[in-house]
Amino acid sequence: MPCERMPMRYGHSEGHTDVCFDDSGKFIVSCGSDGDVRIWESLDDDDSKSICVGEKAYSLALKNGKLVTAASNNTVQIHTFPDGDPDGILTRFTTNPTHVTFNSIGSRVAAGSSDFMVKVVEVSDSSQQKVFRGHDAPVLSVTFDPKDEFLASASCDGSVVVWNIEEQTQATSWPVLQKTNDVSNAKSLCRLAWQPGAGKLLAVPVDSKVHLYERGSWDHVSTLSDDLVTQPINAVAWSPSGQFLAAGGVGGFLTVWDVDSKLCVERQKQEKGYTVCGLAWHPSGNQIVYSDTQGSLGLLDGLSTSSSHPSTKATKAPASKVAKDYDDLFDDDDDRLMDEGLSDTNSPAKNPVAGDEDGDDDDVVPATGRVRNRGAFLDDENSLGSLKLGLDKYGDDDDAGSAIVAPAAPAVPLRPVYEGPMPTPPQKAFQSGSTPAHLTHRFMMWNSVGIVRGYNDEQDNAIDVEFHDSAVHHAMHLTNSLGHSMADVSQEAVLLACPSTDELASKLQCLHFSSWDTNKEWMVDLPKGEDVKALCLGQGWAAAATSAMMLRLFSIGGIQREIFSLPGPVVCMAGHGEQLLIVYHRATGFDGDQALGVQLLQLAQRKRQVIHGEPLPLSRKSYLSWLGFTAEGTPCYIDSEGVVRMLNRSLGNTWTPVCNTRESCKGKSDHYWVVGVHENPEQLRCIPCKGSRYPPTLPRPAVAILPFKLPLCQTTTEKGQMEEQFWRSVLFQNHYSFLSSSGYEVDDQAQSQAEKKQQELLMKMFALSCKLEREFRCVELAELMTQNAVTLAIRYASRSRRMALAQRLSEIALEKANQMNEEEFVEQEDSSIRRTSGYSQAEATGYHYNNRHHQEEEEEQREELEEEEGRDMETEDAAENRKRLNPFAKRGSSPEKPALKPISKEGRVNPFKVLGSGRSSASPGQPRVTNVLDSMTSVKKLAPLSGSAGKTNKSPPLKPLAPRPKAKTQSTLMQMTGSKTANKKAPQNVESAEDKMKQPEVPPTPSPVDNAENKRPKTGFQLWLEENRKSIVADQPDLEETDIIKEAMGRFRILSAEERLSWTERAKGQTVDAADLKKRKRAEGEGGAENENAHVEADESVAKKKKSLDPSSKLSAFAFNKN
Amino acid sequence: MPIVHNGAVTSCVFFAVSGNSYSAGTFISSTVGVPALTHSFCKQNNPAVQTMDPSEVEFLAEKEMVKIIPNFSLDKIYLIGGDLGPFNPGLPVDVPVWLALNLKQRQKCRIVPPEWMDVEKLEEIRELERKEDAFTPVPSPYYMELTKLLLNHASDNIPKADEIRTLVKDIWDTRIAKLRLSADSFISQQEAHAKLDNLTLMEINTTRTFLLDSLNCMYKLRSNLQPGSNKGKALDY
Repeated sequence: MPCERMPMRYGHSEGHTDVCFDDSGKFIVSCGSDGDVRIWESLDDDDSKSICVGEKAYSLALKNGKLVTAASNNTVQIHTFPDGDPDGILTRFTTNPTHVTFNSIGSRVAAGSSDFMVKVVEVSDSSQQKVFRGHDAPVLSVTFDPKDEFLASASCDGSVVVWNIEEQTQATSWPVLQKTNDVSNAKSLCRLAWQPGAGKLLAVPVDSKVHLYERGSWDHVSTLSDDLVTQPINAVAWSPSGQFLAAGGVGGFLTVWDVDSKLCVERQKQEKGYTVCGLAWHPSGNQIVYSDTQGSLGLLDGLSTSSSHPSTKATKAPASKVAKDYDDLFDDDDDRLMDEGLSDTNSPAKNPVAGDEDGDDDDVVPATGRVRNRGAFLDDENSLGSLKLGLDKYGDDDDAGSAIVAPAAPAVPLRPVYEGPMPTPPQKAFQSGSTPAHLTHRFMMWNSVGIVRGYNDEQDNAIDVEFHDSAVHHAMHLTNSLGHSMADVSQEAVLLACPSTDELASKLQCLHFSSWDTNKEWMVDLPKGEDVKALCLGQGWAAAATSAMMLRLFSIGGIQREIFSLPGPVVCMAGHGEQLLIVYHRATGFDGDQALGVQLLQLAQRKRQVIHGEPLPLSRKSYLSWLGFTAEGTPCYIDSEGVVRMLNRSLGNTWTPVCNTRESCKGKSDHYWVVGVHENPEQLRCIPCKGSRYPPTLPRPAVAILPFKLPLCQTTTEKGQMEEQFWRSVLFQNHYSFLSSSGYEVDDQAQSQAEKKQQELLMKMFALSCKLEREFRCVELAELMTQNAVTLAIRYASRSRRMALAQRLSEIALEKANQMNEEEFVEQEDSSIRRTSGYSQAEATGYHYNNRHHQEEEEEQREELEEEEGRDMETEDAAENRKRLNPFAKRGSSPEKPALKPISKEGRVNPFKVLGSGRSSASPGQPRVTNVLDSMTSVKKLAPLSGSAGKTNKSPPLKPLAPRPKAKTQSTLMQMTGSKTANKKAPQNVESAEDKMKQPEVPPTPSPVDNAENKRPKTGFQLWLEENRKSIVADQPDLEETDIIKEAMGRFRILSAEERLSWTERAKGQTVDAADLKKRKRAEGEGGAENENAHVEADESVAKKKKSLDPSSKLSAFAFNKN
Repeated sequence: MPIVHNGAVTSCVFFAVSGNSYSAGTFISSTVGVPALTHSFCKQNNPAVQTMDPSEVEFLAEKEMVKIIPNFSLDKIYLIGGDLGPFNPGLPVDVPVWLALNLKQRQKCRIVPPEWMDVEKLEEIRELERKEDAFTPVPSPYYMELTKLLLNHASDNIPKADEIRTLVKDIWDTRIAKLRLSADSFISQQEAHAKLDNLTLMEINTTRTFLLDSLNCMYKLRSNLQPGSNKGKALDY
């Protein structure tokens, strides 16, 4: 039977449909779940007539100009046809009717309902009703016997019942169906059909077969089936001649059987495989109209069901016989080629059917095409089956009611289901600080400047802008005629944007209220097809990211500025000052994770990209929920797990988690909705939301403040706590350097306070480690300290009798001093580089700044000293000094530097040896260092014990190479260390310089030498010279100084051995005296000049008294009162 | 008469010792931190007994702290009573009621109603107050004053202001009724003393004048009725 399948067309909205022809066959009439009955002149009719019959229409029947519909309002209504005027209600049920049908002459209507009842109503007089009770479940379908004697009904209770209409009794009942509880859950709609004419056969769709029952005997006489129909049949319909039976069902099958031969004569498939739920023959019998659960209509045309069929069949039989053999060849070849598994199409059982079909098909389709076609059909069928299965599995529940896939499709091979990581749906673009767009009252933006609220209800579509600080601007109320859905607000402007609609392009509107001219508003239309997805405001600019993955920059006055492409669909944007932060989808995330990338741009004079699209770290299975800057300008974001992360500029632009808001939540479903982050003071401003993620606009939510907390380990312990505090303080101090580097003013006071706090924390940790006998840890901590703090630490260590520790600390102190010098040096050399990138230089240890800070403080002191020393060094040592300077400059930071003291000690013992061994002479600083150690009585013993000390002994003395600036620094350092330690010789050098100044009568000998002499025991010769100098001068007054010495040498040699020895002895004795003398001198000199030292000394003496107290109290004695 | 108050306005003691000329009197007092407003009724023969008037109680209530959300920026301010601020726009900060109201009147802030100023909580309190015979603890020692002050000046910042006003009035009425009842039974049973817990200053204040006078009056009458005892020594306590 040749037929043409017309393309499907849209008929109704998605859902159950029913369809029929009118009596003349001129119109197609359909109803659907949209509640409309539509009258189509043909399938191509684009201007159908609609009649609304209710919310949903389940079934319709049409006869004699009367249209009967079963609608969801529990009624069966009549409308006139084709006018569609309502003609009253035929009957009512307690729940919705499921199926209506006319009898053959159109005098009665039978209706089945979900309330288990079947009613038969006279169309002319609706009061004449017959009610059939007996079903135990909703009625699926009803059909009249053409002779009006019987009525058949199918129900969800699994039975098909034939009723005697007059007697209202059950004639018979067949429990053939599957039981369900509701029509929507039934696998099949089970539309019954009685053979027209004599009504000999009743067709009942049972699963994938059609049972035929004989009238009267009610015997099951035959079954119509087809191997290709594997899924339940929804509806059957007899051709007007009663010869053919059409069936349609799940999976979109349309099959036509010749009832006499029980052969399948036509097999079609709804093009998309949607479930067929309505089916009707054209009165002429050459067309079948059908509808599916997706609301579309289809038509099979050209069915030749003429009564002459037997003859056609007869004539065609031989031909088909030939064709069949012929086809078998093809089938064998092609089917194997295409799909070996499908060769069962040639199974004997199927051959007749196939043959018959083949015979018919030969007329219209070329053989090869047909075979291929059929192969494809089979193939399609299989894959569709599995697809359908898959679809159902993934929760396409909408049509599950009518399209449940029969589990009995074992023949269909299941397509392997993908079980790997599933891609995460990418999160939508959002404005941080806004609540979801679907709310009628929502926050469009809540940031540190103000609040933008959007109202979108029946009365009002408006936007309220309110500023936290009323000094910025007064509150604004705007009507939102454009439907803005995004907003941002800054001190200068309010930026709004709406997505595009059918007519209007996406718009960007800026209320530039800070403008000084009278035009305070501008608007920009985006190109067609481009929608604003995210926007933000900075200082003097506005940015909008669009659906075209583009970023458009505007000046705040409305000039279009830069434009560039984004690497992915934008998620969120934030602006602050000159910084623009963009987060976009970098790739597809898997298993609940989002794959986001982040860009940070600097839009200042020197535009550059600071973060080049790096992945944005998020917690597992979370998405971005807030993005912005701290008030100080550090990028910051929050994910849906409540973890707040902040950019750590000093650690290579990494992200540090600084807070977990979920930890502060009381309930599991409580959240904090963040509105702002401040670094100074450390505040996370957020709104507590009970049982939700977002606050409602009313009552007006109150802001709460959360503290930050780095997720360090063991923060319950004192150690952990202090560590956390320290690193948090370091992290939250980063912005100072950033601000100063980008030319903003920095709150020096706050900064120094923070630094002080850090140092105090370090000292506390130091003390704690000391208490716990963790000396190595102490040293590590000392490395984080500033120089000042290290000196305190040294004092603390020596006070708690940890000499080894003190020694190491003094090494560190020295190193720090060197470092500082280098820095200064570097600073001088490339100050320009520093200015731009200073903040990004390694400062991970946190003392970097502090050093610099102190440097400045000490600058003045140094300068004073420089003058003194400069005077001293100008003479013969100048050349040597220069020599020292250069090598240092090159040497940079040698690790051996700190290990000088033992050597210098050596130098003190035998200065000449040091010189002779090629080491440069002792610098002014050297003895001071030595002194630090000397003061600790046990150092000498300890020093050789430690490995590093031993090593340093071998290494060349580096100290003497120190350049002048370094020496200066050291001198300051040593002043402090010296004074701290009990060594009274520490300030000797300074003093001696001062002494010299005070006593100009002393011959101006070069200071280093002088110093050396001061330190070193005088030789016997020198003593002798002192005594005899006058006599020599008296003898030979014209001699030069050098000559005097020569002469003296000569004379000294003349002396006897005993005499020389005695002088030497005396010299030794005098050294002590000299030292005593110095001590006294120092006490006087310091009182006036060395305020600081005196102060420290006083401190020290206090501390000494308290020595027996516990470490912490000792620590407090070291109050940071020096600066 | 050694009555020591620890500053808390939690109890009120009636004394009505008849027959003893020295200590006879009625004592209703409470102590608050402001000396000028602390009254002693122990002194005999003080014709100008200073009674507190409600505005004074209100004055005291104005020292209570309340949260406001300022819409201006101001550094910490240093006042005799303590430091206030800093004020950051949009960020809640605790200030005394007097300042809150002042700022509110100048439209410089929004007042965040105290936690107890909430319909549900007040309903609970009201139910409890009605159920109990004794006085129940009130959410704030100045609940009445604060309600009046805040609702009069900042009703736009307080959700369901009218309901709250009604509820607080209900609570107040219940409590005053209880107070009258106690006074009545105190007098009718001729008790020497009684103690009432959880009374607020304002509540004490409403009944003080009348109760004192009437007790005095009754004392006079009673002492006159009893022949021979302290005749003519009617003293005004």
